[in-house]
Amino acid sequence: MKALNIAATGMLAQELNVEVISNNIANMRTTGFKRSRAEFQDLLYQNLRRPGSATSDAGTIVPAGVEIGSGVKTTATPRIMSQGSVQSTERELDVAIRGEGFFSIQLPDGRTAYTRDGSFERDATGTIVTANGYTVGSGIIIPENSRGISINAQGSVQAYLNNDVAPTELGTLQLANFTNKVGLEAMGDNLYLETAASGTAQIGTPDDPGYGNLLQTHLEMANVNAVSQISDLIAAQRAYEMNSRVIKAADEMLSSTANLR
Amino acid sequence: MENAELISLSRQTALRRQMNVVANNLANISTSGYKTERSMFSEYMMPVAEATTFPTQDQRLSYVWDRGTLTEFDAGPIKLTGAPLDVAIDDNAFFVVETEQGLRYTRNGAFQLNTEGTLVTSEGFAVQGEGGPISFGPTETNISIAADGTISSSAGEKGKLQAVTFDAPQQLTRAGSSLFAGEGAIPSQSLFTQGALEGSNVRGVVEVTEMIEVSRAYQSLANMMKRFDDLRKDAVQRLGTVRA
Repeated sequence: MKALNIAATGMLAQELNVEVISNNIANMRTTGFKRSRAEFQDLLYQNLRRPGSATSDAGTIVPAGVEIGSGVKTTATPRIMSQGSVQSTERELDVAIRGEGFFSIQLPDGRTAYTRDGSFERDATGTIVTANGYTVGSGIIIPENSRGISINAQGSVQAYLNNDVAPTELGTLQLANFTNKVGLEAMGDNLYLETAASGTAQIGTPDDPGYGNLLQTHLEMANVNAVSQISDLIAAQRAYEMNSRVIKAADEMLSSTANLR
Repeated sequence: MENAELISLSRQTALRRQMNVVANNLANISTSGYKTERSMFSEYMMPVAEATTFPTQDQRLSYVWDRGTLTEFDAGPIKLTGAPLDVAIDDNAFFVVETEQGLRYTRNGAFQLNTEGTLVTSEGFAVQGEGGPISFGPTETNISIAADGTISSSAGEKGKLQAVTFDAPQQLTRAGSSLFAGEGAIPSQSLFTQGALEGSNVRGVVEVTEMIEVSRAYQSLANMMKRFDDLRKDAVQRLGTVRA
């Protein structure tokens, strides 16, 4: 019976929906996390009687045909790349992006990844790195005897060296932007990779047209809204239950047929 | 006696199809822009399939015929999503989407950009504006969609979303992937809401009650067929008893 398979596709879809929601809730406190949403579409239809086909020679037509659907499919789990709230941390190497753009990160295997998580550190050589120790951008080195590191809205990194009165320019944090940000592939560790769907990275300076600006001593929080996630979770759970009821009802119908003898 | 079984059988076949329709509705309870489907039945006076040796004039057999499925086009709930490329469209209009098979119509406004910056559906089909597909450059930001469908970004006005209505929406066929196919689209002025999606108009309660109704009706028919069978067995036994 088709209803069994149809309800099974419904249960699978809702299971995936709950997975996506639980991942959003689990990452509610992850810096720079962008929530995802499961998107569904109906599957192909079986046309048992086509609407619009002729029912008589007098030109009468079928006003509404018989179309039986075959369930639901998941088409995408796009990320919603909206701005998360910005929180003050008072750490001088915490940088939040306000607006469009990603920091580019050099992975140990030579590839470039992109992130919105600006909780940077200094490694043994003084290079600005991510919390995992990957170099940020082309590698800005903060010398040992520097103090008062400042990163301005345009991404320029400055520090006072030795006992200098004026700050020294150390480099610029650049931003990468994509035509289709939703097409980026998430690789974990708050990092995204470029794909054929995202288009190539467009490198620019913060505050240029089309790019956001930077805010030092702040971090961008996740853009997950707890209330809407929980209400989505409830809706998904109930939908799952209803689909399982369909399986039960279809099973009862089949068993009453089987018991006809 | 076989006539009763034939009639029950016609009802059971129709009920199975109705169950499939209900299952499809419930499976799509969280599909954006999905429209509920309903089964329609009518009485069918059966002129041929009769198991009566001597047909009588006043005993007409009426079978059940599932004449069609109709789509309930009433609007689903509008959910705010916060994504800039999610668009909800008012009451009875459709978005126009270009597929390989030609123009298709949808109420699912969960749009995205592709590599070229063109506005597409989640299947990658281009969404039609009044002057063709709508594209954005790589550095354009702040995409906003006004209530009349005008799309603008940091680079100025980009186009206007196309909306169509149909005189006879029941004539539309479902093409899967939230798309409808059909002819006779009439351009219309519609209201658009950015950052919102139209949910499925499936009402869980209605579907579950219909499902219970279907499964009980099916069971009662199965019982009825069993009774007829018993009756026949009885008849065969009694009539077949030979008195020595």
